[in-house]
Amino acid sequence: MSTIVSRLQSSLIESNSQGLLSGCSVLLAAHPEQTELFNHACFGHPIISAEKDKQWFQLSLEEALYLCSVMKCIKVVGENKCEKNDEELWRYMTSKKVGFPFLFKAYSHLRMKNWVVRAGTQYGVDFVAYRHHPALVHSEYAVLVLSDEDDNKNARLKAWSDFHCTLRLCGSVAKTLLILHISKNGDGAIFPSSLENYCVEERIVTSCMWRIPSMASVSNPPLEGLPVTSDPNLSQTMSEKEKKDTVRKK
Amino acid sequence: MEAKTMDSDAFERLSLCEGTYGCDSDSEGSVDDSVDDELCYASGDIPKLQFRLMVKLMFTVRKEASKARWIEELRMAEVLEKKGKMWTTTGIVRNGKTYCSIEESLYLAEIGALDIFNGDDTTLPLSDMYGKLAEDKNRHGCSWESFEVYRHLKFLGYIVGRHNVSWSIKNANIKTDAQEGMAELDNIRDRGSVDNSFITEMFGNLYIGETRPIFDVYPPNSKFRKSSPGNPSFVLCLTSGYPPSKQEIEDLETRCNGSPLKFCIVEHGRVSFLSFSKVELPVLP
Repeated sequence: MSTIVSRLQSSLIESNSQGLLSGCSVLLAAHPEQTELFNHACFGHPIISAEKDKQWFQLSLEEALYLCSVMKCIKVVGENKCEKNDEELWRYMTSKKVGFPFLFKAYSHLRMKNWVVRAGTQYGVDFVAYRHHPALVHSEYAVLVLSDEDDNKNARLKAWSDFHCTLRLCGSVAKTLLILHISKNGDGAIFPSSLENYCVEERIVTSCMWRIPSMASVSNPPLEGLPVTSDPNLSQTMSEKEKKDTVRKK
Repeated sequence: MEAKTMDSDAFERLSLCEGTYGCDSDSEGSVDDSVDDELCYASGDIPKLQFRLMVKLMFTVRKEASKARWIEELRMAEVLEKKGKMWTTTGIVRNGKTYCSIEESLYLAEIGALDIFNGDDTTLPLSDMYGKLAEDKNRHGCSWESFEVYRHLKFLGYIVGRHNVSWSIKNANIKTDAQEGMAELDNIRDRGSVDNSFITEMFGNLYIGETRPIFDVYPPNSKFRKSSPGNPSFVLCLTSGYPPSKQEIEDLETRCNGSPLKFCIVEHGRVSFLSFSKVELPVLP
């Protein structure tokens, strides 16, 4: 994935690509080679239009900010055709989307590890993360972003019913729930260096549920429970650790 | 309702039968729609065999039951006569004697594997045992919900002990303490066991009403030794009304010395087990 993303980056720099800030999206025109790269790298969604020589893409705020301020391969202009600098973009986006700083930190945290990250709205979560292009794999993780700044209004997973609901949904779409806890340490820096002030902790939530059998319900055999041979969480954590120890970069 | 009893030896054979459990821990999470649409799996395919076998065994004739005497001051039953192999994985040993917690006693009584007596040698019926459990849970350290979870873990074949309570201690001073949820049985620091003051803290008021660890759970093991049980597969925490915060989870992880934690929620006759496993997603090529 990192190769594809690098190629997209080079191509965009070469063509001096500019995105137009509009509401909560950034619109960008791409030539055929870039269209393919956008699709392979999973940035943005194509807009269907009659235009033949270029393909318009719609980028989310996170995607646009990542391409602009982290990968530094596009410029973003406002409605007056004025280019917005990093700080202006940050202020704009933070004002447009609740919890944007944490969402963006989560997005870039995963993208920098070369995971494919897409919006998770249709699954009731913040993002979905894949190892490869979604056409090649099923999504691995449904991602929820939690921060220590959540007040009661924005707090996620407040009640057990929230967990059951989210986990149930994740289960039906074969995704594991990944919670990214984001905490902010220190102030003072401005974007994009302020991003380094945030810490990300990754936790996977796994669950299993069964009905407690009573003597009376013996005639209806109860459901299965926990696997007994080994703790799947133990082996999962172990394999993640092994992977961490043998990181390979292309 | 006709009485259903359990052949305790047959039951242990089931418990110690490691080969029955096949779990592919590498498989992706998926939902088995054929079982029940209200069930949600996180990982692996779980065999139905063990539970169906269990259900069958419940209808077999009872052999001789073990005997124990309930000691109210300790809130435990002292085992007088042992029948069957289950005692390698049930009860704690102090000075060569075996004692069962209320959940262990109640569980064995329910399946007809243990007859419990009062101090005056009269029979202690099941209804009285249920009654003791229904009393303020802090007296016995176990609520009805904890008992339901305990019982089901036993059905699945796990070895279950109270969190941070040593399985076996020699030269122990048996002491009672009305303030704590469970009698403090160890006054002497045992090599490798938890510090005494920590036990006091654990069973004191610190955890009441909050998420707290209740059981150390071990996988089925025919070679389980109370003298050296090893590390539990996971520590089970019973939750309060609300999901634990990140800080609470971290505090519990620290207290449990790195054993994996599972959190159980018992609601409306359903138990959910949740894990919040720390991971580090790999950097991909």
